[in-house]
Order: sequence, then structure tokens, then C-alpha cells
Amino acid sequence: MQPLAEPVTKLIDAFGQLPGIGPKTASRLAYFLLRSDAAIALNLATALQELKEKTLFCSVCHNIADQDPCAICANAQRDRSLICVVEEPLDVQAIERTREFHGLYHVLHGAISPADGIGPDDLKVAELLRRIQQGAQPASPEQAAASLLAQVHTSEVREIVLATNPNIEGEATAMYISRLLKPMGIRVTRLARGLPVGGDLEYADEVTLGRALAGRSEM
Amino acid sequence: MYLSHLSLTHFRNYQKLEIDFSGPLTLFQGENAQGKTNLLEAIYYLATSKPVHAQTEREIVDWLAEDEPIPFARVAATVLTDASRRPLELEIVLSQRGEGGAFQKQIKINGSNKRSLDLVGQMRAVLFLPEDIKLVDGSPGERRRYLDIALCQISREYTRSLSQFQKVMTHRNGLLKTLREQNARPNDANVAGQLAFWDEQLTAHGSAVMARRHQFVQQLEQCAHQRHLELSDEREQLALQYLPSFNLGNMSDADYARLKENRLDRIEPVQDNNGLTAEQLQPHFMAKLASRRGREIAAGNTLYGPHRDDLRFLANGRDLRTYGSRGQQRTAALSLKLAEVQAMTVATGAAPLLLLDDVMSELDAVRRSTLLTALEGVPQALLTTTDWDDFTPEFRARAQLFTVAKGAILPLSA
Ligand SMILES: Nc1ncnc2c1ncn2[C@@H]1O[C@H](COP(=O)(O)OP(=O)(O)OP(=O)(O)O)[C@@H](O)[C@H]1O
Ligand SMILES: [Mg+2]
Ligand SMILES: [Zn+2]
Repeated sequence: MQPLAEPVTKLIDAFGQLPGIGPKTASRLAYFLLRSDAAIALNLATALQELKEKTLFCSVCHNIADQDPCAICANAQRDRSLICVVEEPLDVQAIERTREFHGLYHVLHGAISPADGIGPDDLKVAELLRRIQQGAQPASPEQAAASLLAQVHTSEVREIVLATNPNIEGEATAMYISRLLKPMGIRVTRLARGLPVGGDLEYADEVTLGRALAGRSEM
Repeated sequence: MYLSHLSLTHFRNYQKLEIDFSGPLTLFQGENAQGKTNLLEAIYYLATSKPVHAQTEREIVDWLAEDEPIPFARVAATVLTDASRRPLELEIVLSQRGEGGAFQKQIKINGSNKRSLDLVGQMRAVLFLPEDIKLVDGSPGERRRYLDIALCQISREYTRSLSQFQKVMTHRNGLLKTLREQNARPNDANVAGQLAFWDEQLTAHGSAVMARRHQFVQQLEQCAHQRHLELSDEREQLALQYLPSFNLGNMSDADYARLKENRLDRIEPVQDNNGLTAEQLQPHFMAKLASRRGREIAAGNTLYGPHRDDLRFLANGRDLRTYGSRGQQRTAALSLKLAEVQAMTVATGAAPLLLLDDVMSELDAVRRSTLLTALEGVPQALLTTTDWDDFTPEFRARAQLFTVAKGAILPLSA
């Protein structure tokens, strides 16, 4: 058997490093690109390159952004006293789509998962604390005069909404953060967990239904 | 509860099987290695969603199916219940994802996708095996597994608590290992802060599991005691002791120490503790963890909880594991299984399906007839044997008879 050309094996190896892609899928993708129109491969190449070159993480909220601070952090209309803490950038998108939240975000980049060796130090927890502490201090004249970045840091944070996932890792993360924040005298809230819209009560599992009952609200 | 139809595809040595059941008793006869155990295993798999013997689920897929484009195994059953006029359709399909990939389990109830949690308890079954004696003379892990399988079928609540407990413990062990690597000091505030959530969760779910096991063992004991008396010609008093890894608070520490060393006379109950609840137990669990934090960090492992439970069998006060003869051990195991049938019936309001794999050959005449008496009046029992003569002609006349040969099942023609 003739050995594969090196560019092909290189691409297969590269695909193989992606999550959820085994050797078989990796070679399928590589051969697809090999056979298909050059434009497809070039588009992909440019997209990959720009992904790393043109995006960065916002130094305030740690969301993926194309500028620092990101568009949300830089938006003067948003309520700076309210920070919603999420696990992943995708969660920001999901909450933004609701158009119900007008505060700022903080992306942790994961959740506490001791079984995978992920502890608070591996997440942007310290950054969250620093952000709150800085916000609580009266701005110095230098800071006030400085850039937009400084302005972003200076309003007082009054409420933290913990919007980590309702699974055990998300709960552990929420609990850990709330224990840290409570002594600082900040209001800490957790997203209510309820029934999915469009679902039948009859088919909701006991846990979901139980939580929805516990978190029922006045009409 | 009645299993009226079973369908197997590529399940162990059954390439394709469709079989209908009628009447309360069904007897399968076959030579060795023909598929008797495999058949009962398939039914039990559908009841518990766990393979009986297999370490990995892929073992149950027919070897020959490996040549199929997508290797898979399927078990499906139609079950008639008292609760509903509509028969229940249960199905498990194990199929391989990609060549050499992992097997994935898909569960359906009445045609729609469900989780294991939803399947367990739909068709309840008690399985009798020749190797049941291991429940008495085997390792504590076998006894815990036994309690879990029985309780999961009885209580969804228990299934949920157990699975949550396991999830939490995996995380907690991960954290304890990390803390060990960091040489963390047990009294450090940050250490306490990181453990707080996991301790709370571990003790909440773990206490639910232990309280239920404690109650279940008491229930089993009542009935097993009676059955063991009958089986032993009124000579032996069987007692079951639940042995948790720490004092649950229902006895003095001195008594707990005596219990662990088996110096406590079981016949005198320590205290009326019928009402031991998870809520009563949890503070004791929490206190244990708090006082042993350093030891757990050093071990990098959770040292207390339901995963360290055991169950002790005593006949006339003597531990059967160490002092019992094979016959005594076998009798105790049989008493336990019969007690399980009754406990399950009481707890759920319906008798489980009885699956008896080649158990007659191991039993003497007294035990055989006790067992057969226990079968009187059950809605359904499926039995296997290598030898028709293990059963009386009267019994055979009442049963539906099949022969099993090379993964095929045929009705016995008269
Ligand atoms: N995954 C599998 N695919 C195909 N055949 C299998 C598979 N697993 C086990 N077998 C075969 O099934 C047969 C064993 O069947 P089983 O254990 O049901 O026998 P049995 O009738 O209970 O015999 P015994 O009387 O000895 O207990 C063996 O021949 C074994 O090779
Ligand atoms: Mg067998
Ligand atoms: Zn930002």
C-alpha cells in the first residue's frame, strides 16, 4: 500500500484532535475537502485563521469578543449594577436572545467539576470577585478620567444572577460563588427552574415538576 | 404483572426469537450451553436495565452480529399490568456507534424514548440463580448490588438517590484527590468551602439510600426468618443485620462497635428504630465526615457512606459467612430471595415475575417443595432445567413446556 500524502495525514491528524471526532470521521472530512471545490477548503482555512487572529476575550466579562471591552460591556445603556454569571459564551447568546436581561455578564468558562480536576481556580471566579471589588470602590480621579475600560469598572454591583446550568456541576459552582459573595453584602440570585414551555405537565419528570412547584410565583 | 410476549434479536446466542407465554408457569428444558440462562438474562435485563453477569454490555450482543453493518442486540417485551388495560411495550436496543465504537443503549417504553430510570420498575422481576449462594459467602459488593437492584425496581426515588449519590461521590473523590495532591490542611477555610457543597449533597443522597436499605433489610428479615424456619425444619433462626459504615445514630457507639464485631446479640433489638429516616440520619453522616476530613483527604477517597455498607446473615446467632455450611448458606440465600418476592409484592401491590434458572438441581427434597409451594399463586414464573425429572409430573402438567436447543425454543409436543 502506498503511504498517504503528507498533507492528507496532517489534516486527518488535525481533525482527529477535535472533540467527538474519531479517526474514521477525520479521514472522511479530509477526503471530502480533498475532492471538493477549492473554495470550500480555503473558506475553512480563512475562518480558522480569523478565529484566532480576530477574536479575543473581553478583559471585563471574559466573553468572546472582537474588541476589548466587548460590545455589551461597552454599552452605556446596560445596567452595570447587575451581573449575570454563566458557564459558557453560548449561554450569553441564549440569554441575550430572550431580550429580558439588560445587565452585564461574566463568563466563567466552565463549571466546578472535581471529577475532571476542575476547581474554582480553573474558572474565572477570582476575576469575578476582583470585578465586584473594583466596582465597589470609589473611582479615583485618574480612573474616572481614563478610558472606557475604566468606566466599565466603576459602577457598583448590586446583584449577581447565577445562571450556571441546573446540573450538579452548575449547582456546585453556584453554591461556591454565592458563599464567597454573601459576606460582601451583595444580593445573589439564581435562575428559577421551571417547566419547559410547550411541555405537558403530565410528562414532566418529578424533579422538574418539584422544582417548578417550589419556585412558584404570585399571579 | 404478566410477560405475554418476548422478542430477542442478536441477544447472545439468540439470533431471532419470538415467544408467547400463557398461564402462570413456564418450564424450559435444555442441555448445557443451549441458551436457558441467556433467555432469563434477557428478561431480567429488561427489568433492571443492567446485564446480570456481563461486565460490559457489549458482551450480550450476539458474536455473529459483529458482521452486520451495524452490530446490535434487541430485547423487547409485551407486559400486561393490572394498572392499565393497555399492554406495556418495553424495549432495549444496544447498537454500536461506528466501527469498533462504543455500544449505545436506547430504551423505549410504548415506542417513545426513555431513560433507564424510567424503565426500571416497569416490569419487576426476581431472579433465582444457582450462584445466589454468593449473596451469603461472597463479597460485600455483591450484597450491595443485590439490595440496589431490588430497591431500584421497587422505588424510583431510590434509583434517583442512588444515581445522584454515585455522581456526587465521583466528584467528591476527585476533589479529595486534588486536595491530597495540594497537601491541603483539613481545617483550612478554603478546603471546607470547597467540600461544603459536596458533603451536603453526598449526605443528602447517601442518607436517603441508607435509610431505605435499613428499612428494606428489616422488611426482608421478617419474611426471610419465616422461610428459613420452614426450610430448616424449624431448627434455624435466620437474622439479617444491616451494617453501615458508621453509626447512623440509632444505637449507642458502644453497641455499634459490638455490632461491627458481631458481638451484639441480634435477637434483642438494640432499640426501636423502625422509623429511621434520611433526615434523622443525615446529621450523623455530616458529623462523621467533619470528624474524618483529614483521613479522607489522606486517602483521596470517600470513606463513609452506602458504598461501604454490608449485610450479615446469622443463623441462631452465628455468622453464616464464616460458620455456615454450604447447605445453610444456600438455604439462607433462598430464604432471602423468597423474602424479596414478598417485599416487592407488598411494596408495589403486584407480584414480580419469578425467574428461576436451574435452581432445582442444587436443592434437596424439602427445599424443592418449599420453593414450589412458593410458586403457588404467583402470576408468572419462568423456570429452566436440564432435566425434566427435576419437576414432578403434576407440576409439568400445569406448566407450559418448551425445549431449548442452540438458541431456538420449541414447544414440547405432547
Ligand atoms: N454474545 C454471545 N453471542 C453468541 N453466543 C453467546 C454469547 N454469549 C454467550 N453465548 C453462548 O451461549 C451459550 C450459553 O448459553 P446459556 O448460558 O444460556 O446456556 P444454558 O442453556 O444456561 O446452559 P447451562 O445448562 O450449562 O447453564 C454458550 O454456548 C455461549 O457460547
Ligand atoms: Mg445456565
Ligand atoms: Zn465584556
